[in-house]
Amino acid sequence: MFQSIEEVGEKLGEQSYVSDRRLATVVFLATRLGKPVLVEGPAGVGKTELAKSLAGALELDLIRLQCYEGLDEAKALYEWEYSKQLLYTQVLREKIGETLAPAESLREAAEVLRGQEDVFFSENFLVERPILQAIQADEPTVLLIDEIDRADEEFEAFLLEFLSDYQVSIPEIGTVRAARPPVVILTSNRTRELSEALKRRCLHLQIGYPSSEVELEIVRLKAPGISGALSEELVETIQDLRTLDLRKAPSIGETLDWAQSLVVLNAPKLSKDLIESTISVIAKYDRDAQRMLDHLGVNARERKDLGQMEPTGEKPEEAMYEMHRSVHKHVH
Amino acid sequence: MDTVVNDFVQVLRNHQLRVSPAESIDALRALEHTGLRERGVVKDTLRATLIKNQEDAGTFDRLFDLYFSMRPAVQKPSARLKLAHDHDHGPPPARLELGEEAGGEAPEDEGHSHDTDESTEMRRFFEEDRMRPANDIHGESERMRLSMFSQELVLNRKPGALESALQRLTYHMRLRRSRNMFNPGGLVPDAGGEELPLDVSAVDLQDFVDHLHELEVDEALIAELEAQSENILRGLPDLIKQMQEREKLLEKDAKDDAAFRRRALRKMLRFSAAEQREMEASIRRIARNIQGAKTRRLKRDRIGRISVPHTLRQNVRYDGVPFEPVLRRRRENKPRVTLLCDVSLSTRNLARFWLHLVYQMQSLFSKVRTFVFVADVAEVTQVFEEHDMNRAVEEIFSGRILDADVNSDFGKAAERFKNEHLPTINHRTTIVILGDGRNNGKPPNVEALEEITRHARRTVWITPEPRWGWSLGSCDMPLYKPLCDRVEVVRDVDGLAHVAEELVRSRA
Repeated sequence: MFQSIEEVGEKLGEQSYVSDRRLATVVFLATRLGKPVLVEGPAGVGKTELAKSLAGALELDLIRLQCYEGLDEAKALYEWEYSKQLLYTQVLREKIGETLAPAESLREAAEVLRGQEDVFFSENFLVERPILQAIQADEPTVLLIDEIDRADEEFEAFLLEFLSDYQVSIPEIGTVRAARPPVVILTSNRTRELSEALKRRCLHLQIGYPSSEVELEIVRLKAPGISGALSEELVETIQDLRTLDLRKAPSIGETLDWAQSLVVLNAPKLSKDLIESTISVIAKYDRDAQRMLDHLGVNARERKDLGQMEPTGEKPEEAMYEMHRSVHKHVH
Repeated sequence: MDTVVNDFVQVLRNHQLRVSPAESIDALRALEHTGLRERGVVKDTLRATLIKNQEDAGTFDRLFDLYFSMRPAVQKPSARLKLAHDHDHGPPPARLELGEEAGGEAPEDEGHSHDTDESTEMRRFFEEDRMRPANDIHGESERMRLSMFSQELVLNRKPGALESALQRLTYHMRLRRSRNMFNPGGLVPDAGGEELPLDVSAVDLQDFVDHLHELEVDEALIAELEAQSENILRGLPDLIKQMQEREKLLEKDAKDDAAFRRRALRKMLRFSAAEQREMEASIRRIARNIQGAKTRRLKRDRIGRISVPHTLRQNVRYDGVPFEPVLRRRRENKPRVTLLCDVSLSTRNLARFWLHLVYQMQSLFSKVRTFVFVADVAEVTQVFEEHDMNRAVEEIFSGRILDADVNSDFGKAAERFKNEHLPTINHRTTIVILGDGRNNGKPPNVEALEEITRHARRTVWITPEPRWGWSLGSCDMPLYKPLCDRVEVVRDVDGLAHVAEELVRSRA
């Protein structure tokens, strides 16, 4: 476990996860208080990544539970393994006959059988699902409950017992309590508001878009092939684009995708051509892409016209276009 | 330490943040681990343990900074501790708006403390290096002044009485404000976030001051209040001027030609991404409440009744022993919504909000049919599907679909709808009517609406006009109300969120 808040930052840094003070404080408190952390923020800012890096930093196993609509306890907690139970009954049929042989009446036989019930409803026949796995692990684990907002509200309610006491009740067996409580990270994209009860049981952490310094550091860590000047230009552009009114603003995930595509394309710098051809990496909607291009002064339609006409060099856009072309020629 | 944290939690609660006792205990436990040495850490700790909604983060930040005051020190360290004790200000009050609205200079006043010893001790941790110099306390915004003022109220140990006096004053103000009838919806975009200007009369203020005299409070306090009232009065001419300018603007609005209106509309329809998201979220909430009827077909489900044939088929592999029962039940259908939207002049100011709502609903629900009405009814589902938001609205107001410039006549519109479009409604449909129910003296035709609502599963009426306005003018809402399952007053995005909230609650 961590000794200080600074240590959290360092250890996460070793896992190439760039954290700020607030994040480190919350993670530190979570490990100290044994409380789950609810991480909220837009898609692609590294919520899931936090859990992975934390598992790496603490050298613990990561158990992941991806939530989706219709997720129920059979998928999240445990399930009885009917076929195994059936197999055992078949194989043990003789033995059962033997056991029941001395019984004289039906009632007595049922009594005897009832005494043996725990053979068939034991943990032996349980298929462990992520939450039960995390509870029964010998070592503490990091349990990631990803995108909890996608699950139904009933599931949320079902989690409450687990989150407050790290225990679950299985009707046939009883209450299973975690010997070593896992570190629980819940993430949410806020597609819906989570219940107050759930929030009350968690520490709350809001992750937003990073500042340009932090983002630059992330790009350098995660896309090592990129040159310094290009990464700066890229981060600057992205930060600028985030100020636009977009349906889906580009997040860190998109920045990294973009950086990696530029590395693959072996681009020396961000030219207009390049932006236009790779805009789909960061824009997830057509309208957004158009808006971004407009904002960056890349206008696809106008450029097409220019291609058909002989550039006169009178309009400023044309001059710029020419400039970029010459830069391009020069580089190649 | 607990005293301070509890006190701070109380302040948060006063500002409508919901903090449970369990959370404040968490905060205390967390502080034991982090220590109190660093201000930033304490802030992050309190935020992580106490604040669970992103929306509340701003309020929290503001209150934290206010509560654990934090100007960098200018004075010598030796003086600080004493200052911390002498010039500490209490929790800022809930009624902050007053100071801002008054906009006047608060009287100079120094040095009040009602801190217990423990809490001062705790504050030392935060303030040792950051205590503001005493003189600077009035250099802050109006809010700060007001917090001084409110502390006086606490000091005078007449919180209840003074509270009521204050309430009376604000009541007067509200009343004045709501008497402003230029603008039924209050949603003119230019007005944006700002409220209608206050119109506080001298009489009200004098009343208030008299009232204070009766309460036998500190003479100094009364003097202060009087000084403040002076300022409010001094500000009045400005307010009146603003008011007149508004009136002028509105007059121009009424006379404008179609082109101008279209331009204005386009301007209205610009929603920020945040507003859009908020709207979507609210509508999703409403969507969860608007239910369709049960489907006829049974579907497999986690709960429901055991279906014998399916169970047998499923368990053939277990020798016919029914290990896995198959449960089935009737699922709920997706809601079918029919929207009836008033686009007449009286609701023109609301167009931005209205049509956006409609547009959103249509994109979120699968089966939505949209009609607009003034005195006539026309279906615009197709228009919304084919065009983007702005084009669609322009199309609607262009007059090509229906004459949007006549007086609204809900009775006639309902009649037309009943005759022409009634078959589009069945027992699975929820009707949402967006309109203010102003018939301009024409017959209300309650029967037609009754006929329509009888065919529908549910009728929800969303009106921009507060209930007290229904009795004024030619509003037929009181007649229509009994026919609807719900009547909601929604004036802006926040209001919509509120309605969604209430619907959710009433269902639970």
